[in-house]
Amino acid sequence: MDILDSNTILYIAAFGLMLIGISGIVISNHLMRIIFGIALLEAGANLLLMLSTYHEGAAAPIIVDGNVPAMMADPVPQALVLTAIVIGVGILALALSLAIRVQRAYGTLDMREVRLKLEQEISADAGIDMPSSSEKPADIAKVPLNSVVQQESGS
Amino acid sequence: MRRFTAALFLLGLGVMIAAIYQHIDFSNTAVNAGQAINAVAAEETGAANFVTSVVLAYRGIDTLLELTILFTAAMIGGMVLGRRRVDAPRDPDAGFILRTGADLLFPLLLVVGLYIILHGHLTPGGGFQGGVILAAAFFLPLLARPGITLIDQRVVSLVEGLAGATFISIGLLAMFDGKEFLTPLLDKGELGALISAGTLPILYLAVGIKVGSELAGLLAHLAEAEALD
Amino acid sequence: MNLLVLMIALPLLTAFLLSSINRLSTFAARVIGPLVLLATAAIGLSVWPQLSAAPQAIQWGGFQAPLGITLYADQFALLFALAMTIGTLLLWPRSTENQLRSSSLALLLAGTGSGLALSGDLFNIYVFYELMTVVSYGLIASRGTSGSFASTLRYLVISGFGAALALAGIALVYQATGTLNLAQLAQLAPEKLNNLQGFAAFVLMLVGFGVKAELFPVNMWVPEVYATASSRVSALLAGVVSKLALLIIMRLLILVFHQPEALTVLLVLGILGVATGELAAWRARDLNRMLAFSSIGQLGVMFIALSIPGNAGIFAALAVMVHHLFLKPSMFLLAERWGGSIKALAGAAKTSPVGAALFVLLSLSLIGVPPLPGFWAKLLVIMPMLALDQPLYYFAAFVILAAASLEANYLFRVVMKLYEKEPAATPHNAHATLDLATAVFLGAGLVASVFMLVPLADRLDGIAVQASDVSTYIQTVAPQPLEAGRVQ
Repeated sequence: MDILDSNTILYIAAFGLMLIGISGIVISNHLMRIIFGIALLEAGANLLLMLSTYHEGAAAPIIVDGNVPAMMADPVPQALVLTAIVIGVGILALALSLAIRVQRAYGTLDMREVRLKLEQEISADAGIDMPSSSEKPADIAKVPLNSVVQQESGS
Repeated sequence: MRRFTAALFLLGLGVMIAAIYQHIDFSNTAVNAGQAINAVAAEETGAANFVTSVVLAYRGIDTLLELTILFTAAMIGGMVLGRRRVDAPRDPDAGFILRTGADLLFPLLLVVGLYIILHGHLTPGGGFQGGVILAAAFFLPLLARPGITLIDQRVVSLVEGLAGATFISIGLLAMFDGKEFLTPLLDKGELGALISAGTLPILYLAVGIKVGSELAGLLAHLAEAEALD
Repeated sequence: MNLLVLMIALPLLTAFLLSSINRLSTFAARVIGPLVLLATAAIGLSVWPQLSAAPQAIQWGGFQAPLGITLYADQFALLFALAMTIGTLLLWPRSTENQLRSSSLALLLAGTGSGLALSGDLFNIYVFYELMTVVSYGLIASRGTSGSFASTLRYLVISGFGAALALAGIALVYQATGTLNLAQLAQLAPEKLNNLQGFAAFVLMLVGFGVKAELFPVNMWVPEVYATASSRVSALLAGVVSKLALLIIMRLLILVFHQPEALTVLLVLGILGVATGELAAWRARDLNRMLAFSSIGQLGVMFIALSIPGNAGIFAALAVMVHHLFLKPSMFLLAERWGGSIKALAGAAKTSPVGAALFVLLSLSLIGVPPLPGFWAKLLVIMPMLALDQPLYYFAAFVILAAASLEANYLFRVVMKLYEKEPAATPHNAHATLDLATAVFLGAGLVASVFMLVPLADRLDGIAVQASDVSTYIQTVAPQPLEAGRVQ
């Protein structure tokens, strides 16, 4: 990448945005950062779609005052990205509404706590205990040592 | 541990993306569907803006589905957020600059939005872009004076339902004429005139009104949702 | 034939107008949804005989492919479009506070499902898929409990991630070939997509569309969603919607991506799905999540079936899909009253003897006991794999058989609980009549197939052959070739 032409820069931007978005979703625990990660990921994907038939110096595909430009840009990715952006907006609005309700119900926006409380709620509804092997090892001090020692010395 | 695996995953992803990038063929000989559309769009649809002809004519069904996604998202957002309690505390009015600015900008934004919607087949823009500006026009007074109820949700749902039904009905009308669903009808007119491109401006008007009313309703719902303490 | 677009347009139109209709007459609003779905199912059934001769293609808006979007109807697509419509009709969601919105969502689900099955354009498939995802969010969240909101949010995050990846895959395909029409992609694929870019696009689209098909790495949303959504919604999602997502992946595999590496990826992910799903189901202690994990396992079997090259793979996958289409909704309908801890099911056979007998029948079919159709479906998957004589396929066959023994263990654990002598402390009520009737109807379908086995197998084989016929697809759509050189 010695000569950074426009193509390389644009592709780095598109893939970079996608990578940043994915890292936000995968690494972060805070719900707002995850939603921002989704927004960035979608922006990167939209940019990638626009770049698919990018040609430097092409004019907009519009006929103004009867002049037809020599080289017109591709209208199809523009229409596709228009659709994709609107879909992204709808989903983001939905995500924020759900986040508001989740915060109201569980009192937190930390995804680990939300998942823990969700698990507790499901288990309580079903009438079963929480799965015991969550993250901490069993409490060793609870096993009574005396009985084990007595049995060994007895036999 | 989790961060380490996540970092490893991202590193692997980065390497894969670099490999893909090496293999992308940048010859771009322009043999694609878009250029084929550019060649024939002016005669087949009569719209000077070829992106509009793709959005409304060649890929009209995608636009219909996009409208449906917005409709569904707004409906679910309303369902999830529920109604505000009557005695819930409201935010105070905004400062002088925002209040005056909102009052001044409201009619201007309406005009700009409608202009962009109506000229969608001639200049860059169209129903979606203009509809978002219309929604922003209705949102400014909500920001300036949170107490007022500018938008009646029942009117919003009526308008968006009828606008969406108009879009589908125009599509179905083509079927009565013996053609396929969503074939553009009416006279194509003169390229570049305001009244041209047959049913395309009407479709975009329906789209613009629907998007504007939906987003305005959704924003009003989000604004009305009780503040989180 | 043009009426087929009404399968998509009419439900959408009704959904838009539903709140206005409700203002005029509440009774009309309650009744018009199922009526519209009946009408569209009738339209679909009326077109069915024409398609056994030859598939047909309709162009949206009359614009020729690849400029316009194609609607491609062969028996395979119409089968699943009808499954979606009739399934939504049978499993019409009932929600006490949100009935109007649930009806709109159900109508939208039916229309979208039909469109997804019948579409012939890559981006059109993506938009239909996104619409179906948003409608599922609504159906899950319509339960109104905080748990349903949290599980919807988690599903949204995973689904949004997948959707963006699918979009990136579509971008790579358009960059390489310049078209989005599936028929033209089938023509151009051997030269333009048989490289790393094509394989990367396939993996991206597989992960993206695989979220709904409960593919291995992106199925973390499944247990929470099926535990917190209402049983009818779970039945719809697990039973029908996941099959539609699988149908898209099948179309892409048959038409566009012919690399053997693609089949290997499907095989590996399928094996992992079966292993993780069945092991998790074995450990589950409440019925809803046990069924959820079990469906992950079954979908893993379908992915393994897809990875068998040639027509045998499509036939096997189709058989397992149709079997699961009847089986899972029936089980989820039974879980409506029996949801919750398995221990609490003790003695439930006394209050619902029909339900318990039905559960035994369904379990036997799921495990794969002859002469029930589940046995034949699994046989169709395992026999070609053994014939391929490759180590990975042998391993896959072993995994499927081991999974069957696990299924026998956890399903019969439930059956033993059902028929226990002493009832539980708080006995469950009997099933609602409508739920039980629908479940029995689906179970009767399974039993009826035992008696019509050979003609049914021939019909499914015919459908599979028609679906995997790439040259007929290209001829039917007849895309206009793109001119070479710059276009002024």
